[in-house]
Amino acid sequence: MDFRHPFITNPKIAIYYGLFWVMAAIANILVLTFGNNVDVVEAVVEVFAFLLSFAIVGSAVWYVIKFSTLEDNSFWRVIFAHAIAASVIIFIWMYFGVVAIKLFHPNPSNWFEENRIANGIFAGYGFYTIYVVFFYAINYYNGFKEKLRSEGKLKALVKEAELHALKSQINPHFLFNSLNSISSLTMTDPEKAQEMVINLSQLMRYSLKHHQNEKVTFKQELENNRLYLHIEKVRFGKKLNPSFEIDEKCMEAEIPNMILQPLYENAIKYGVYETTGQVDVKTIGKVTEKGLEVAISNTYDPDVMSKKGEGIGLVNIRERLQIIYGNPGLLKISDNKKEFKVTLTIPQK
Amino acid sequence: MAGKLRTVIVEDEELARNLLKSFLKSIDNIEIIGECENGFEGVKMINENQPDLVFLDIQMPKITGFEMLELLEHKPQIIFATAYDQYALKAFEYNAADYLLKPYSKDRLAEAVDKVVERIRKEGVTSDVADKISDFPKEEYLDRIVVKDRHKIHISPVDQVRYIESMDDYVMIYTTEGRYMKQKTMKYFESALNPRDFIRIHRSYIVKVNEISEIQQYEKESYIVILHDKTKLKVSKTGYKNLKEVLSF
Repeated sequence: MDFRHPFITNPKIAIYYGLFWVMAAIANILVLTFGNNVDVVEAVVEVFAFLLSFAIVGSAVWYVIKFSTLEDNSFWRVIFAHAIAASVIIFIWMYFGVVAIKLFHPNPSNWFEENRIANGIFAGYGFYTIYVVFFYAINYYNGFKEKLRSEGKLKALVKEAELHALKSQINPHFLFNSLNSISSLTMTDPEKAQEMVINLSQLMRYSLKHHQNEKVTFKQELENNRLYLHIEKVRFGKKLNPSFEIDEKCMEAEIPNMILQPLYENAIKYGVYETTGQVDVKTIGKVTEKGLEVAISNTYDPDVMSKKGEGIGLVNIRERLQIIYGNPGLLKISDNKKEFKVTLTIPQK
Repeated sequence: MAGKLRTVIVEDEELARNLLKSFLKSIDNIEIIGECENGFEGVKMINENQPDLVFLDIQMPKITGFEMLELLEHKPQIIFATAYDQYALKAFEYNAADYLLKPYSKDRLAEAVDKVVERIRKEGVTSDVADKISDFPKEEYLDRIVVKDRHKIHISPVDQVRYIESMDDYVMIYTTEGRYMKQKTMKYFESALNPRDFIRIHRSYIVKVNEISEIQQYEKESYIVILHDKTKLKVSKTGYKNLKEVLSF
């Protein structure tokens, strides 16, 4: 949670706040001198001692609010906290006010005779209550904005994932090479060519269809990626060796859609593209107490230096998981120089 | 033209090779003398058998089609065949005869072969591929340098390069693993390496910024750079200016 004072995070509020109090002070001085025939100096000292000083002391109420929000504490605890905070703030305020009157008021004894202290304390609690309402309002407004922001960010990330999934199916690596494979198969193995056309269509339909649902079942997501690997397998032959170890219990688990495909793409890009030997792409799915756990690993040729900038897909997945589940540790990477492995933990309700 | 075009295919995907072979079968003046699955095999096959024509994929394991071209001693005519359209410009910088985008038709392939025949008629059997390899600035900086070291092909990540020294028509590349000679110009490396990491300090030297331990005044108006391993390299006036700019001192 952000404990920083709104006057610091949003200086505009501080400026309006200051202007409000300066105007209130001027109005007060004018009323006292012209309306109540109080001496100008007395009016100014009184306004400074009590009105403007509360403007300063009162801004501390923010911290009371932040440490005793209604969401996290019981109603009575909040009331109790405010009662104590109010008393402390009012005590400090009155103390400085009285000192200021004694030092600067031309006629302090007069002032004390009029029972001003009791009135002041009473007004203090009133002011305090207004402040509480004011800062709660700011707090809720900030929370509301924050929520809108993170929702917007999630939407953008999902959009990006969709776009990425679409692009990776329409980009030259994938689409044109697949079409070239089909072109070749039409001559040597027409049946297989037909099968590949169908697989390619299904894959594209999935990524066009599922763009609005935020989550799908693991089964759906897995089937889609099997198709993807199947198509790539036709292209790469024995170089690509996919295997699956999936616990039946995983199938109905929920998973954000199109979150796995970038992982398989990476496995092919950094594994299969770069080596002349066989690359094992292994998928392990199981259910643990933390939720669905999916590990996707690929072997790679350790002699081939990996290109930089492979992080983008992974960063995107990590960020998406963090926004959906509020936990930054759901994506883990391990690399033993022979095998690269990414493990996702997807919390279930 | 007298005989058939002796042709080599360098392509990592079996299906793509099959397609190309079956298309080529119907073109009379082609004789396929070899097929390679990657650039390493390609270098060996082409240098040993000296074909007239090579069909070349770009994205392949180990080394790319372009990197393979740089290692050839024999320079055949090249037709690129790839799914990527973004390399077309670069392909013609390498003096390719044609650039086929996958999937391509049989007619388009025949057209490409015709171009090669035409070229050979005009220029003679071997082309000057790779001699013309340009000093053009590339769209992106190199991340590795491929060199042929007697019979081995060595791939040096740019991270391992310490400095480069010019030697007439060649450059000597000093890496953490050893030194390698390559037929390239200093100008090429000056534009192909990221200028934030590599500085041209002299007509004869390009040095990696992180390797520099000291810059010393040598004589009045002249400086030397001392590397971490105590190697001393001369700095020219322009070089000193470059150093000042990049290191901002």
